[in-house]
Amino acid sequence: MGINQGLAAVSGDFMIAALLIYSLAVLAFAGDLAFGKPRRASTAKAATAPVKEKELATVGGASDSDSSGGSDSGGSGAAPAAPGTPPALPEQRASVLQSMRDAGRWVQVAVGLSLTGTTAHLVAVVTRGLAAHRTPWGNMYEFVTALTCIAAIFFLGLMIRYRAWSLGIWVMAAVVLALGLAETVIYTPAGPLVPALQSYWLSIHVTAMTLATGIFFVAAVVGILFIVASRHESRISGGKAVEGENGLLARIPGSKQLDKLAYRTVVFGFPIWTFGVIAGAIWADEAWGRYWGWDPVETWAFITWVLYAAYLHARATAGFRRWAHYIQLLGFVSLVVNMLVVQVFVTGMHSYAGLS
Amino acid sequence: MTSTRTPESAPAREESKPPPQLPLWKWAWRQLTSMRTALILLFLLALASIPGSLLPQQGIDPGSVQQYFQSHKLIAPWLNHIGLFNVFASPWFAAIYLLLFISLIGCVLPRTFKLAGESRTPPPKAPRFLKRLPHSAAYVSPLPPREAADAAATVLGGRRFRIRRPSAEDTGDWVSGEKGYLREAGNLLFHLALLGILVSIGLGGMFGYKADKLLVQGQSFADTQSALDEFHPGRLVSGSALAPFDLTLKNFSAKYLMSGQDFGQPSSFKAGVSYTAQPGSPSKTDTIQVNHPLNVDSVKVYLIGHGYAPEFTVRDSRGHVVYDQATPFIPASTSTMLSDGVVKASNASPVQLGFMGVFVPTAVSHGNQLQSAFPAPDNPAVSLIGYRGNLGLNTGKSQSVYQLDTTAMTKVAGSPHLMSPGQTWKLPKGQGSITFTGYKQWASLQMTYDPGQIPALVCAILALAGLLLSFMIRRRRVFVRAVAADSGTGSVVTVGGLTRSDASGGFEEEFAELTAELSGSAGTENPSDSEGATGAEGAEGAEGATNQSETKA
Ligand code: HEM
Repeated sequence: MGINQGLAAVSGDFMIAALLIYSLAVLAFAGDLAFGKPRRASTAKAATAPVKEKELATVGGASDSDSSGGSDSGGSGAAPAAPGTPPALPEQRASVLQSMRDAGRWVQVAVGLSLTGTTAHLVAVVTRGLAAHRTPWGNMYEFVTALTCIAAIFFLGLMIRYRAWSLGIWVMAAVVLALGLAETVIYTPAGPLVPALQSYWLSIHVTAMTLATGIFFVAAVVGILFIVASRHESRISGGKAVEGENGLLARIPGSKQLDKLAYRTVVFGFPIWTFGVIAGAIWADEAWGRYWGWDPVETWAFITWVLYAAYLHARATAGFRRWAHYIQLLGFVSLVVNMLVVQVFVTGMHSYAGLS
Repeated sequence: MTSTRTPESAPAREESKPPPQLPLWKWAWRQLTSMRTALILLFLLALASIPGSLLPQQGIDPGSVQQYFQSHKLIAPWLNHIGLFNVFASPWFAAIYLLLFISLIGCVLPRTFKLAGESRTPPPKAPRFLKRLPHSAAYVSPLPPREAADAAATVLGGRRFRIRRPSAEDTGDWVSGEKGYLREAGNLLFHLALLGILVSIGLGGMFGYKADKLLVQGQSFADTQSALDEFHPGRLVSGSALAPFDLTLKNFSAKYLMSGQDFGQPSSFKAGVSYTAQPGSPSKTDTIQVNHPLNVDSVKVYLIGHGYAPEFTVRDSRGHVVYDQATPFIPASTSTMLSDGVVKASNASPVQLGFMGVFVPTAVSHGNQLQSAFPAPDNPAVSLIGYRGNLGLNTGKSQSVYQLDTTAMTKVAGSPHLMSPGQTWKLPKGQGSITFTGYKQWASLQMTYDPGQIPALVCAILALAGLLLSFMIRRRRVFVRAVAADSGTGSVVTVGGLTRSDASGGFEEEFAELTAELSGSAGTENPSDSEGATGAEGAEGAEGATNQSETKA
């Protein structure tokens, strides 16, 4: 079937529009950073005395090994409430609209722009697929545009659910960067697929990989912010820096909150990646008669999977927790290596990139 | 990496020197089955895979390995020595994953027993100060403490919490509830299923096989070892175990894109075949395509390659036909299908004749070089170089059918001879002739049988299910304590909550809902304060703490 050139052009226009609107959203988030309401109440760093998990858990006896020994035990995120005052209601019970109103004009504009940009982006991805009569992630350009779309959608959901407005600038800037590079460096016009890529399982496989990559993209940005924030915090506690002295750092959430967001994000992406690898194995079996053959692309998908598994382990291993996010970032690096280096330069059976 | 442990976060049992009272093997086993070792091994596994993707691998592409040996004479033998051309079959790679799986068994089995025990014992007693728990709330109930606790127990029971109430020797009015044991079960299922995948792969390696066969249109073959071009049996497979089918390639067609930037790229391949599954059973037909293998009694037949087979008739100096068949040529370029091949007329007399040739489906000439402009046969041509002499077939050395050994041969003419279908080349000095009568297409098929495939798939699905269970289910405890109110009537009820795992979040909402239901059941009009859960992040502090601890006993 031929390519619907009209639709392909529509897709291209929407993609550019999305890029522009995203850029404006980043500017608005930056405006919030510079001129917006200072607000970091809910992210106060371990200010309140940590609750002794150990003591609590050993009361019952049976659970000792499961919740013992946290150097950064829970409760620390609680807003320091003056004694005697009624405890504040959880912030999250305030409606989304209410908390956006509280967040101020800049955030409202930024979120609005982000939502508009994402809609345009989604339209661009869908029309691209309609134009080529297939799932719109058949070559690297399409893969990047689709994964950034997933990342934007997922992040907006995350930001709204956790009211994490201050993360907007970082994640959306990363999306703009990736999408901008895709548009300028690896742009590929819509075209049909080679026979090896025309398969039901392939679509499922690449769809899952695209979804997971978009989600890991968000986790990676949050992971980097975590590392920045936790280093800053340890400098503060080491007396080398003063709280609030660096305006930029004071505006990102505390490391505990970032850790949790990144963790939840990986937890969301990991089963999808696992599923994607399984679907890929099924496809490989249909196409080449073996479900796993250590082809370079398969090998790197495996490496990525093992590294994210290592991240999940590190987070549950005493003494390794602070390294967890470095492992998570290594996982993302391996993913990018697979996408940009292995698929393009190392020959294997996945002649996928569509670049010549 | 072990040196990065910070003293305060390393529990005593992670001590890396054997405590004197422990026998060495016990200490070693503990080390091996610790989370720390698992983490390091996982890391090593990822690291060890990298060379396997960067260097050519014997098991995947032996040709490239040879090329690498030629172009890197100095280091290639060294790399080979440490198994870097066969990483995934090397002893050190095996050592890593075997240790990992031993560690896994040593870690997961005890957890299974622990879980089985835990699911039969009631939750711990309620702590005294529930307000200190990561999640807590309080409300006033018009009921006396005992009844308020009873009401709370009914609510928790209705929500399918496992309940514990004070026994005779306990003091106070309280309820402990716990829920979400399946989260541990999911984690165990995940790890055990990984083990299952490894076992399934081993099964395939022992009992499976893989074989290749190239068929020219019209040719058939029976699935016996001697009929196959290549046969890679598993460790425990003998040639007689092959599936007894035979198969004929009736036709083959390839379509290519005629326009656009992907001009010349293939858009579809179809191999029409007929086959009989068992001698004597009815013949069936099927079309094998790139992603659609044929399945004959659990042996899968794949289309893995295709090409052209020009047909030649060779006559020797006496005028006898000494060669008359379609000869598969091997594509040197998949984008133009320019292909190479040889013709060996071993029956030619008085001396044997041989030809080295290039076939182009769409001939264009570039200077005096023959090239192909398109992979479809729009203007087929061959260019041949003729040789006479000894083909060297009787030397006892095995020879490839795609190569001509010209050491004992001389060229019959100085330059290559270009021919179109139907043309005949009369060799000089009456040495014979060769006619390019036409061409056929060939397809190369791969037969695979892998009994580990279905078990591997089942285990993979179980692993995924286990993962989802462990991520979506949170293990949590809720405690309720009621004490008589200062006013004399009714009671003040405190609720505390604690998650031990809350990977996808949401306990704070559940806790709030539960508190509302509890206070509702107590007949309170004004559910009062709820504390601790200040904002999404604060409320989840507990999860952070429980997740980081070493969960092994
Ligand atoms: C084949 C290698 C392994 C892989 C790919 C792997 C992967 C994972 C993954 C993805 C998780 C997070 C999912 C969950 O919580 O259920 C996890 C958790 C866990 N793994 Fe493994 N694992 C491996 C080997 C091991 C070994 C050898 C051990 C024991 C030494 C182990 C102990 C654990 C424990 C205790 C958890 C739960 C952590 C928590 O409570 O959050 N794993 N593993």
